Amino acid sequence: MSLTATYKLSARLFWRDKGTLPASVITPLGLAIGMPTLMRNVTAGGVTAAAQMFVGTLALILSGTAFLNITVALTMRRDQLLLKRLRATRLTNRQILLGEVANTVTQTVILMIVSAVAVHLLADVPLPRNPVLFAVFAVAGSAVMATLGVAWTAAIPRGELAAPMTLPFFFLAGLASGAMGSIVDLLPPWLHPFLAALPTSAVVDAVRASYGPGTFGSDLAAAAVPALVLAAWAGVALLSIRRWFRWESRKS
Amino acid sequence: MAAIQVNHLSKSYGSFQAVDDISFEVEAGTVFALLGRNGAGKTTTIELLTGFQKPDSGSVRVLGLDPIRDRAQVRGNVGIMLQEAGFFPDLTAGQTVEIWRDFTPAARPASEALELAGLTAKAKTKVRQLSGGEKRRLDLALALLGRPDVLFLDEPTTGMDPEARRNIWEVVRDLAARSTTVLLTTHYLEEAQQLATNLAIMDRGQIVVGGDMAETLAARVGRVSFELPSVIQPGELPLPATMRGRLAMVQAADPDLAAQTLLGWASERGLRLRGLEVRTASLEDLFLELAQNGEMAQNGTTDRGDHP
Ligand SMILES: Nc1ncnc2c1ncn2[C@@H]1O[C@H](COP(=O)(O)OP(=O)(O)OP(=O)(O)O)[C@@H](O)[C@H]1O
Ligand SMILES: [Mg+2]
Repeated sequence: MSLTATYKLSARLFWRDKGTLPASVITPLGLAIGMPTLMRNVTAGGVTAAAQMFVGTLALILSGTAFLNITVALTMRRDQLLLKRLRATRLTNRQILLGEVANTVTQTVILMIVSAVAVHLLADVPLPRNPVLFAVFAVAGSAVMATLGVAWTAAIPRGELAAPMTLPFFFLAGLASGAMGSIVDLLPPWLHPFLAALPTSAVVDAVRASYGPGTFGSDLAAAAVPALVLAAWAGVALLSIRRWFRWESRKS
Repeated sequence: MAAIQVNHLSKSYGSFQAVDDISFEVEAGTVFALLGRNGAGKTTTIELLTGFQKPDSGSVRVLGLDPIRDRAQVRGNVGIMLQEAGFFPDLTAGQTVEIWRDFTPAARPASEALELAGLTAKAKTKVRQLSGGEKRRLDLALALLGRPDVLFLDEPTTGMDPEARRNIWEVVRDLAARSTTVLLTTHYLEEAQQLATNLAIMDRGQIVVGGDMAETLAARVGRVSFELPSVIQPGELPLPATMRGRLAMVQAADPDLAAQTLLGWASERGLRLRGLEVRTASLEDLFLELAQNGEMAQNGTTDRGDHP
């Protein structure tokens, strides 16, 4: 009952927060729809290149809408002593954070679906062959990114620093997953395993399999490593939250 | 059983001892005032009582429960008005109360909570447009939502106009009459005197005076003050007086008797005592007296700890 209450509150605040909507919705959505559409029209390879790029841009939605948004919202609420006020109620710590995470997952998954449909209509990118695989990783990926965002707030001293301290991950994630085109090939090869181990890269890998040719068996195989990567990141996030999460800003 | 039990409670921030081995109890259905100057440790004490902070040592029981270990259960029965906490600025006062009702089982209707806090007229106003005192009232409305058995109020009337303050007093009295236990802090000593049956005065983390309000005051002296006639030297008065400018102050256990003595003495000499004031002991006198006797260290003369 109280989880739905915090979920509802987070959702309401998400769409009202004019300050973060550009970073949390408009930019990721614009890039995820705009860049593949552009690809479709300017390159010879057309549809294939657009599909390739689109899957990569999902990393931008994951890092913008899930990670950046929840980090900014929570640090702001922490600084304004809103988290403290919420904790003066019957709500448990878990309900407060889970409501926030659940809302973030909802918004992120909606944006992923909207952009998949939009590039289908605008750039002829086919819909995923295996929508279940797409959906499972959209949800799991958003949940892990949102949880990592909650954990990351502990490293941020003040609300104004939340966006600058989070944006680098946005670019890193986009770079690693090919949303920025093939700049990634210019980076030293020893960096590649690290980039591939990012949670956004794991989601992109699994989603790529859901678009490409394959069978149920090959999809399962393709999902195994990304699932493990996400599970590892989830563990890291939960442990850091338990260890370092702060409900009030440092008072010293 | 006492509604709130505090036993040898201590809390430090780094090397700074904010709460230093305090103990007290609050009986169910009574109003308890926690007083003391800025930085005395009142808010820290409330945060320890409400489970926002963990004690270094000692124990706290609210309704027999540990506010940290049994947090969910305690939260269900207490209302908390923090000294400082934020609101969502773009929600209206009414929307804020409605949302908080979702968090509160068996909550009062929103209109009732707003009414109690005297905020009905502002229900449709955005929080960012509320005045300081109105925000404080919204705070109270939220604290009262769950019909709590125990109410913690940290400076509830700060920033309120005198009428609003009196209305809040009425609400607190009313709640106490219906067996709500109230622990409040305030810098308005009249407020404490009006509402509380028991008190503790804190200084530098310790309780320097505590107990029953009436008894505590009865044990202290009242005072008579008047303008000293220009022809009289202080030494000529029939009772020892201290001077503040032209104002003579006589302290006495029975200030009425002292006033009669002084008036009799003056009329024998054909003198008038202008601006005569007779006051029984008030909390304010007690405060001043504590400061004078060094029971409370003067501001700045003692600085313990190394906090900024
Ligand atoms: N997080 C903290 N870190 C360091 N010192 C702190 C912290 N919180 C409070 N203090 C110090 O502890 C002391 C007691 O603070 P507290 O807020 O309990 O005072 P108070 O009695 O409520 O004062 P006021 O009447 O001004 O509200 C103050 O000197 C304050 O500077
Ligand atoms: Mg205080």
